[in-house]
Amino acid sequence: MRMVRYVNSNNRSSGSGIAAVSPWTGLESEIDRLFNNALSNFGPSRFGHQFPVGVYEDANNTYIRAELPGVNRDEINVEMVDGSLNISAVRKQKTGGVEESFSFSRSISLPEGIHTDHVAATYENGILSVTLPKREEVKPKKISVAVN
Amino acid sequence: MSLFSSLIQSPDRSAERFDDGRPGLSVKPHYEIVDAKDGYALTVYLPGVAKDGLQITVENDELRVVGRPAWKRPEGWTTLYNEAADAPFELAFEHGNAIDVEKIHAELRDGVLRVSLPKAETLRPRKIAVN
Repeated sequence: MRMVRYVNSNNRSSGSGIAAVSPWTGLESEIDRLFNNALSNFGPSRFGHQFPVGVYEDANNTYIRAELPGVNRDEINVEMVDGSLNISAVRKQKTGGVEESFSFSRSISLPEGIHTDHVAATYENGILSVTLPKREEVKPKKISVAVN
Repeated sequence: MSLFSSLIQSPDRSAERFDDGRPGLSVKPHYEIVDAKDGYALTVYLPGVAKDGLQITVENDELRVVGRPAWKRPEGWTTLYNEAADAPFELAFEHGNAIDVEKIHAELRDGVLRVSLPKAETLRPRKIAVN
């Protein structure tokens, strides 16, 4: 076995604090690495079966962005069911000639007043973006008041 | 695992910097490495990163991947809830000359970066000119 060599964190770091010269830097990161390795055996840690999502809105729409890298467009399903948006996807990957398949799904409760017939979705750079238009009655209304 | 002896994740030394030079924020992406017969196959999950925002560098026997998400929250959008990190992804390995850096091949598709790192045939002796 080859000796593992650490580069002293001091070499390139711009930090001037005590942390930069800590003799434990290499050890800490090694411990982190061992923990990460050990824990990663329990499944894909970042994604699990729940992928990260973000929910945004503006005056006209509610937007949902879901991180789903590496999935096939044909295997992304977006459904509106009873005021929730259900997203499910399958990622297939080949590891050493063996094809593995991972399924992800998530249900997101939606605010009321979504125009369910006009929901649109796009998939780019591994991000699924869903645009949910608001119904007219929930859009903010601007009332002009004449001030004399 | 043989990876332990050849490819090892570098200690956290983010190359990201704030404008004033302080170490910046970066997130370690989810990744996998498979040790195949003639090379390592590295898969890095970089959701939201386009080719323009991806930087792969090999310097001083360290391989570093930095991916900046292409998307910025548009003006007028309010965040109701967000689990995404919204910071650049950064991952670094020391390869200890175990790979042939000239033959690294990388491909980014749908937010997944696949890098093939061929193992070095031999550790070629290098001649160093002395001035």
